Amino acid sequence: MNPKDNLVIGIIIAILIFTSFNVGVDPTQFVKGIPNLMVVVEEMSHVDPTLLGTAFWSMIETIQMAFIGTIVGVAISLPLSILAARNLYSKFVYAPVRAFLAMMRTFPSILWAILFVIMVGLGPFAGILAIIMYTIGFMSKLQYEAIEAIDSDPMEAISAIGVSKLQLIRYVVVPESAPHLLSQLLYMFDYNVRQTSILGLVGAGGIGFYIINYIKFFEYGKAAVFMLVVLTTVLIIDWISVKIRDRYIVKAQKGVNIKI
Amino acid sequence: MRKMTEILTADNSFSNDSIIHMYDVWTSYDGKGYTLQGINMSVENGKNYIIIGPSGAGKSTLLKLVNGMVIPTKGQIEVFGRRPNIHDNIFKAIMPKIGYIPQNLGLVKNLTVMENVLIGALPRISKVKSFFKIFPDKEVSDAENVLNLVGLEDKVKRKVYMLSGGEKRRVAIARALVQKPELLLADEIVSELDHVSAKEIMDLIIEAKHRINLTAVMIHHDVQLALDYADKIAMIKHGNKIAEFNPNEMRYEEVVGMFNSYES
Ligand SMILES: Nc1ncnc2c1ncn2[C@@H]1O[C@H](COP(=O)(O)OP(=O)(O)OP(=O)(O)O)[C@@H](O)[C@H]1O
Ligand SMILES: [Mg+2]
Repeated sequence: MNPKDNLVIGIIIAILIFTSFNVGVDPTQFVKGIPNLMVVVEEMSHVDPTLLGTAFWSMIETIQMAFIGTIVGVAISLPLSILAARNLYSKFVYAPVRAFLAMMRTFPSILWAILFVIMVGLGPFAGILAIIMYTIGFMSKLQYEAIEAIDSDPMEAISAIGVSKLQLIRYVVVPESAPHLLSQLLYMFDYNVRQTSILGLVGAGGIGFYIINYIKFFEYGKAAVFMLVVLTTVLIIDWISVKIRDRYIVKAQKGVNIKI
Repeated sequence: MRKMTEILTADNSFSNDSIIHMYDVWTSYDGKGYTLQGINMSVENGKNYIIIGPSGAGKSTLLKLVNGMVIPTKGQIEVFGRRPNIHDNIFKAIMPKIGYIPQNLGLVKNLTVMENVLIGALPRISKVKSFFKIFPDKEVSDAENVLNLVGLEDKVKRKVYMLSGGEKRRVAIARALVQKPELLLADEIVSELDHVSAKEIMDLIIEAKHRINLTAVMIHHDVQLALDYADKIAMIKHGNKIAEFNPNEMRYEEVVGMFNSYES
């Protein structure tokens, strides 16, 4: 390691200590807090099975919200990602679209949820709108990167016979970027189920609403039921998307038939 | 600047029946070195013009000049009386008349053979219909006929990434034929094929040439094939056209000798 590396590491450590001091990081409090955690864990172990039905149905609501939000968000992000692709449009088109998408991405979904709760009132609809907005910002970026990575050979060859831009998009861009789209869609849905689970914290529907309320009233045993349901669901969805990915996407990359 | 026609009439090696004219064309990819260095060329209507030359000589670049994918740094080109430029809206109207089979084929690997071939018909199809992949029956049956000709009738629904190299080549040829071009640019389309298949494909193109009055500019690696099929042969070396001759003017050994000689 050369002296310059040491200097950089030294500076990072100095900044770490300085900022920790600023925001009041106190490791001793963490240690002192462990018994408190034990209390919570102990209370949580008194799982209240009578709530399992409610938890199940609110999880179903959450999944539905995430599903609608993902599908609508992806549908809107597709045309936007095409407009944002540098290999398809000029700077005058892609630069403003990219700026707009970057702006959308600066908002975490919980902030969108607060905004929509104010706009359309409490409930799942606000949550769905929040998921849509978040999905648009995020998916568009993934998708325009996928479009920019597609092989330029068919693009050039087919432009050269005088097809329209829309035809080029339909016959080259869409099929060549579709395998990525499927993989990204799964990822986004998976992620959106987790996100939707906490949108209830601000009253935007879904299972998070129960969790936050029971925690507020120190009913950890009841909150635990809901948390366990979220955990199980997330694991199941994760498992399913791994299966789908293995089956369709990994095979597609190896050149085996894929069905889109 | 003198007009193209003046330049052309000034040089009597250019026939008025030509659909491609190049006059002292230079190209550069990096703005420093020149890939093509002062090419003069003219291709007559209905003829089969074959370009040969060693790897890296600039053959593919020359072909891309014709359909406007490469723009000359210096010099003049006219194709169908227009200056080729893929981004130019006037030239866009001419582009459907020019079939192009690139060296890398440029197929859409996630589409089926049929879909790839129908892409050749896209310039004639209404935008709305083509968006929903609706093609007139006539176009579909034409495409089927062409796929029969190239021997892919049993692979019509196959995705292109599942085909062999030779089959992919046939798809690219079929796409270009379905386009019904007046000028066909073909970059080493028979290179990976065995001798019999190569002859089949060449015969097919010659047959199409007679049927629809096609002019062809092709690049070939195989000197014998060039001698067998060309109306005119040009040899390109180091970005220069070092020779142009009719196949009956030169023997195979002479051509190969010239091909392999170090001085250009
Ligand atoms: N897109 C490009 N950018 C930069 N340089 C290029 C590009 N395409 C070709 N070249 C260079 O221009 C020269 C001529 O290339 P070209 O593809 O025209 O040769 P070729 O005669 O077709 O060769 P081959 O028989 O190997 O296909 C080569 O030195 C090549 O490296
Ligand atoms: Mg080449």
